[in-house]
Amino acid sequence: MSATSARRLRFWFLAPARCWMAGLFAMPLVIVVAYSFLTRGAYGGLALPWTLENYGRLWDSLYLSILLRSLAMAGAATAICLVLAFPLALFISRAAKRKDLYLQLVMFPFWTSFLVRTYAWLFLLRDTGLVNTVLLALGIIREPLPLLYNNGAVLLGLVYGYLPFMVLPIYAALERLDGSLLEASADLGARPLATLARVVIPLSGPGIRAGSILVFIPCLGAYLTPDLLGGGRTVMIGNLIQNQFTTARDWPFGSALSLALMLAAMLLVLAFLRGARQEPL
Amino acid sequence: MKRALGLYAALAYAFLYLPLATLTAFSFNRSRFTLWEGFSLRWYAEAFSNPQLTEALGNSLLIALFSTALSTAIGALCAYGLWKRGSAVLTGTLYLSLVTPEIVMGVSLLAFFQFLFRWTGWQLGLHTVVLAHVAFSIAFVVIVVSARLRTLSPALEEAAMDLGASEWQAFLRVTLPLLRPGILAAALLALTVSFDDYVITSMVAGVDSETLPMVIYAMARRGASPVINAVSTLVVIVFGALIVTSERMREG
Amino acid sequence: MRRRVFCLAFAGAAACRRAPRLNVYNWSAYVAPDTIPRFEAEFGVCARYGVYESNEEMLAKVWTGNSGWDVAFPSHYLIRPMRENGLLAGIDREALRNLGNLEERFQSPPWDPRLEWSVPYMWGATGIVYNRKLSPAPARWADLWNPALKGRVTMLDDPAEVLGAALKKLGYSLNSTEPDQLAAAAREAIAQKALLRAYLNAEVRDQLVAGDVLAAQLWATTAQQAMDASAQLAFVYPAEGFAVYVDTAVILRESRRRELAHRFIDYLLRPEVGASVVRASRTATANAAARRLLPEAAASRVLYPPEEVLRRGEFFEALPAGAQRLRDRLWTEIKSAS
Repeated sequence: MSATSARRLRFWFLAPARCWMAGLFAMPLVIVVAYSFLTRGAYGGLALPWTLENYGRLWDSLYLSILLRSLAMAGAATAICLVLAFPLALFISRAAKRKDLYLQLVMFPFWTSFLVRTYAWLFLLRDTGLVNTVLLALGIIREPLPLLYNNGAVLLGLVYGYLPFMVLPIYAALERLDGSLLEASADLGARPLATLARVVIPLSGPGIRAGSILVFIPCLGAYLTPDLLGGGRTVMIGNLIQNQFTTARDWPFGSALSLALMLAAMLLVLAFLRGARQEPL
Repeated sequence: MKRALGLYAALAYAFLYLPLATLTAFSFNRSRFTLWEGFSLRWYAEAFSNPQLTEALGNSLLIALFSTALSTAIGALCAYGLWKRGSAVLTGTLYLSLVTPEIVMGVSLLAFFQFLFRWTGWQLGLHTVVLAHVAFSIAFVVIVVSARLRTLSPALEEAAMDLGASEWQAFLRVTLPLLRPGILAAALLALTVSFDDYVITSMVAGVDSETLPMVIYAMARRGASPVINAVSTLVVIVFGALIVTSERMREG
Repeated sequence: MRRRVFCLAFAGAAACRRAPRLNVYNWSAYVAPDTIPRFEAEFGVCARYGVYESNEEMLAKVWTGNSGWDVAFPSHYLIRPMRENGLLAGIDREALRNLGNLEERFQSPPWDPRLEWSVPYMWGATGIVYNRKLSPAPARWADLWNPALKGRVTMLDDPAEVLGAALKKLGYSLNSTEPDQLAAAAREAIAQKALLRAYLNAEVRDQLVAGDVLAAQLWATTAQQAMDASAQLAFVYPAEGFAVYVDTAVILRESRRRELAHRFIDYLLRPEVGASVVRASRTATANAAARRLLPEAAASRVLYPPEEVLRRGEFFEALPAGAQRLRDRLWTEIKSAS
């Protein structure tokens, strides 16, 4: 019952996590920081001298425009996810019975491979894919629509891949909503839509915030979806970074880009969470 | 409004399941193109007779098993420790790992391992993949278990200690059993995240540690056949079974 | 046949506990299903065979010298960078009795005149594959800039190939390092982007066969596979010139099984093994003896163009850092242009 034995227990409980994060997260990041100050070797790899050049290159309008475009894409995906997820979460929280089932049905695609889900859209949207085949067969179009290899396809892939991440936190927030508040609102004469807009949505703020972060961050750093569904026509910052570490073999610049991306993500999350002092997620 | 919501929900679920349903349906198609040519299991046969696929599947399962066990244990203990008294640094680091884009994490781990291996002469392999997976799974586990912990009252443990139990016994006999559903959910999440990972795994995998997502990606890149459909369907079935079983266990 | 191979592979894997190991890292679809199992059976060893889709993928693993692989197959222009970074163990010509099976022109190639570091394995070139209903048929890179092809033409997702095609179109060298020339090439590529469906590699094959894509910049071997699946397709080596590459076998310096690695390369150089690989993969082999065993493969003008055509080809070269960085930046510009 002593304070020291409690403290010792806590120390040992936290120790494995501390060691792991220090060794396999913090240390690697420190190395990336170090790399970002080095120079690219003659045929790739690393070389001295230490330089700030990589960070200087970041301010190039080309790379800034890519970052902006990625932010826009991620923002659009998050917004669409929000619009699509909220009614669904509302439906599940209002369901009298089978709430768990509905929730699991939302989660189930998430339990399958992300790659598989992205590949499924490739399969559907191709010129010889299902959508075009059906539309052609029905006579609605005469030639296959170019549904693939554009920003729309990438957006669709992102939304589809991360929708469950938005549904869950919103559902959790709606669940914690006090039913009596809704009753009170109705008693005061508000129509259901007004209650929704003035009471429900504001009160589910933390859920919306959490979901938005859970969707925005991965979308920002996405590279598989633009790669597979974008036909190489779009460069998001995830592709750019990946390119530096593979084709371009410019690890220092890639490291600088990675840190810039992380910083942008962190700042956005902090700004977003500023409103919520409560425990997030 | 209720009816409108219901209709919308139906459409939303259709949207969520359409791609998967299509993949599954066409995994039974005899032809490799979108025209239905008859029911056939040939792609499944091809999937099973592909040694690369079966080995990748084995690797994925092995890695997922180890990384889930480790990350769930470490994460659950960590969540409990943080529940007792927070640690800004540790919490901050965990959130940072969530916020870090996968590509950055993969690259940093690759750089770290290659740097380390310069001195030790080790190599990339299954072990490096497990180490990496645990690194990014811990945060998920902590969040899920913490959420569960927040619904518990500290009074329970205090009562146990008042009755003479030590902190450790209070944890073991009182809190841990109550945490079981949360730990199970966290383990399931960690398992999925590990099994599904492509970006980080592809960077730190070694000679004999090709995983299923890596194989699927390579096949997709080559514009390969409906074998991917067959593999995907199998993955879906296995995970579906897993979920159903865990739900039964949770209720039982 | 497939069942036999599977059994062989399974038996091999089962016996694979205590036998000596060899780790081979190769391009995908560059061996026949029985090549590795037969090697394992004959030499009583365990071979682990990994595949990659691009040089970069292989290099990323191999670069720091402890990847675990013994043999890799880089493209020829990476030999010098890999050598200068100390990644290669030399080739001992004495240990390779079948070296004489290589074609004349590969016995003493410009990037490795005495074959001290690499052994040519497969080679190929990049050209244009197109649907026969296109009239007039494409014959030069410039034809891929034809507005009539809008939305039905693709280029490779590779900076060296795209910039290379544009450079050739303008009459410059494939390996140009002149900033003006490169900038001009980038402008051409950006102008073309509006017509392109996408930047695709091997995955365009299905779309060519289905008729969605009418013309594509593609490697000869992949084009041959597409043509095998559809008689509507044809291939041409552009008149302005084109890129040639050779994938070569190297032994990595980190390998502790160099003798076994030599024996593996020697095994690949055998005529019957080379022929079996070519039959399965439909690639162009550097092994003349193997080619002689396959009369029909030798007749493919796609895989083995006549001399006067091949003379228009230019080998890729490894470029100095400054030029490489310029090209990378131009590639990023091209990819992010709308």
